[in-house]
Amino acid sequence: MTITRHPPTGRGLVAVWLVLAVGLGALLLVAGVAEGPLDDADQARQRPGVLDLAPLPTSAVPVTDSVPRSGRPAVVFFTSSERLDGLCAAVRAGELDADVAIVTPAAGPTCGTAAMVADPAGRLAATYQLRQPDGGGPPVGYAVVDAQRRVRYATLDPTTAEHLFEVRTMLAAL
Amino acid sequence: MTDQPSYRRRVSDTAAALRLCLWCLLAVAVEIALFLSYRGHDSRFHWFTHFFVGASAALLIMAVVAWRQRWPVRYPLIWPILGHLIAMFPDILFAQGIAHQRWMDVFLGHLNTHFMPGRNLTWYLVFLAALGFYLAVLGRIRRPLPAAALGAR
Repeated sequence: MTITRHPPTGRGLVAVWLVLAVGLGALLLVAGVAEGPLDDADQARQRPGVLDLAPLPTSAVPVTDSVPRSGRPAVVFFTSSERLDGLCAAVRAGELDADVAIVTPAAGPTCGTAAMVADPAGRLAATYQLRQPDGGGPPVGYAVVDAQRRVRYATLDPTTAEHLFEVRTMLAAL
Repeated sequence: MTDQPSYRRRVSDTAAALRLCLWCLLAVAVEIALFLSYRGHDSRFHWFTHFFVGASAALLIMAVVAWRQRWPVRYPLIWPILGHLIAMFPDILFAQGIAHQRWMDVFLGHLNTHFMPGRNLTWYLVFLAALGFYLAVLGRIRRPLPAAALGAR
């Protein structure tokens, strides 16, 4: 004896397609709305996790007399005055194996051994290939420079202080 | 008087629907866990790309397998999850401190898929097309099965 058993057909299949189309479409929309003004308008370029994404590598201009210097990697953070305390605490606790400079739009307090630099016009961020945030204003993120003074990684990242291990990962990849 | 065959069919359909719901809940739970696993990247963007790419690839393979065997693939929710895991594998490595490298594109284009024109919206449409293709294949297949085989399902 045989019994013909059919897979689901017709309206059931259309319903599955519709539910997934609407559900995932709504999630995608919510994810887009959740992006903040300091995020990159092109999310593919924010925290990509890979070195030498075009137009990198480029030559790193001096931030201070000693950062960056030949023979030692460096991390140049770009942040706002409001985020400086949190970033400074993370950098102090993070023990990065690199020279560190922190660039802010206005002169700020010291932060351990990190070099502090004021860049009101935002020229340094542009030379380090940091992109403009979606909402405009000074970029918040960081650049990783190798021992040959080349910028190998640059990304907007308003939440750097919360995941400094990511900076260590990119340093280790040099 | 109760129509016994009809009643049994309803009970069987209900049991099958409940089983499917449990699988769906499990699949959703796994995907939520994968979303939360993104410590090293921005999950909002990366999860979507690799889910759409991995699930689309899985759906296309599922369609071919279903067409060849004239029956839907078994455990249909596991295939897209496996596809997603393959596509996002370099992100799992990243969370362990291993940065991305170009060769990691072998994982379903892990790096380059992010730069598709239209970004995640394009992959969303690709996913919907792949899902539609798989469902269309399901809608066209028929296979008579021996009663004994049905009992084993």
